[in-house]
Amino acid sequence: MNADQSSRLAVAFARETARSSTGRLCTACVDVLAVTGAGITIMGGDQAGPICVSDTSVAALEDLQYTVGLGPCRDAFRSGVSVHAPRLDLDASMRWPSFVALALESGIGAVFAYPLIANGAKVGVLTLYQQAEGSLTQAQHDDSIALAEVLTETVLSLQDDAPSGTLAAGLDDALQYRAEIYQASGMIAIQLSIPVEEALLRIRAHAFADDQTVAETAASIVARRLRLPNDHHTEMEG
Amino acid sequence: MSDALAKAHSNQTLTANTFVEIVETLVGDFDVIDVLTLLTSRCVELLDAAAAGILLADSDGHLRVVGASTERIQLLELFQVQNDEGPCLDCYRTGRVVVHSDLDIQSPWPLFAAECTAAGFRSVCAVPLRLSAHTLGCLNMFMSEPGGLTKSDIALAQALADVASIAIVQDQTTRDAAIREGQLQHALNSRIAIEQAKGMIAERHNVDMNEAFSRLRSYARNNNRGLTETAEALVSANIAVESMTRRRPPPPPRPASQR
Repeated sequence: MNADQSSRLAVAFARETARSSTGRLCTACVDVLAVTGAGITIMGGDQAGPICVSDTSVAALEDLQYTVGLGPCRDAFRSGVSVHAPRLDLDASMRWPSFVALALESGIGAVFAYPLIANGAKVGVLTLYQQAEGSLTQAQHDDSIALAEVLTETVLSLQDDAPSGTLAAGLDDALQYRAEIYQASGMIAIQLSIPVEEALLRIRAHAFADDQTVAETAASIVARRLRLPNDHHTEMEG
Repeated sequence: MSDALAKAHSNQTLTANTFVEIVETLVGDFDVIDVLTLLTSRCVELLDAAAAGILLADSDGHLRVVGASTERIQLLELFQVQNDEGPCLDCYRTGRVVVHSDLDIQSPWPLFAAECTAAGFRSVCAVPLRLSAHTLGCLNMFMSEPGGLTKSDIALAQALADVASIAIVQDQTTRDAAIREGQLQHALNSRIAIEQAKGMIAERHNVDMNEAFSRLRSYARNNNRGLTETAEALVSANIAVESMTRRRPPPPPRPASQR
């Protein structure tokens, strides 16, 4: 079997797996790469939609970095090359302050982000989380690159079957979880007469202050249990 | 050095230069039509052909010229007529080299042969543009003398055709990837804008998300706009969220003559 054949077969299997449950793609990555956790996110411009996460602490970390716009995922997507943080030290914490704080709190010691790229198409990021500090092995690195390629083709081929302008069912189901975050940003934008991007930062600041995840705070807003005060102290990163 | 040797030598240099030139083009950003046109010109120079063209089959199997050494109308007609009969059609169908060394004698394509003779061509050759087992189209050469091409000429023509195939495939892969990436991004952005717009409508009009969505959809329909376009306009404050009411807007006034 040549390399082209194996990669086509891998894509076919991954696509069938994703059709029944996109969540299993992450489980597969964790198994194959022997890492603590993994998250797969599709991105377009500055927008991001997680397809799957291996567990809830990964979910919170992914939500956080896509909300504040700072984290290894976004760096990997923008640069098109993998980003390695084998230690969440002072350097990492200067780069991604709140991400590193939450990662350390969740018991994560190292993070690696691989852009999902194949044939020049860039569709998202595969992020790997390790409890232990330290670099990935050469084999883990090589496998991550190969997996990122298979995942890119998987995402694109899932989307190929979708009616124009709509997300493929498998991808959309996964986004459903984040839908409330977008809805809550729309609501806060109206409540406070601010743009939706800024509204998202307010939600994130409130979540941080209340020791909740962005998704939890968003759910309270959508359920109309929570309105945000109209102050001008938004926690900004940078 | 004899004339023949000198010619062979200069041909070798030209061949090498041609490949260097084309490979250099393919490494950077390239326009596939430019590369194919360049290939047909070099083909004419290297093989002493009177004219050459590259034809590609579209999705219906219809052969179309994508590059030619000259824009002579007679030549273009010769390509056109080959959708009915001619070396290109045979070459495309069989995936094999097709040579006819004297069109005046027993041509398998009477209509094509007559047009060739009228245009001043006496022999033809077509080599396939191959991609593994698949034929994309062909490189077609016309000579003003009978006799056609030697074996080594045909080998060189096939090499040029292979380079053309690489250029086409490279270009298609990147173009397909860009289109697919664009579609995915559009779908993602659309999904997000719709959720944000629902949130805005729900908050302003104190309705639930289902009702918010149905208002967004009616507004888009009533105003003849796409759902995504409407959601994006709302999010960027180009449509006022106040206009997302439940009632249909009044119909546009009709001209008096239709009443």
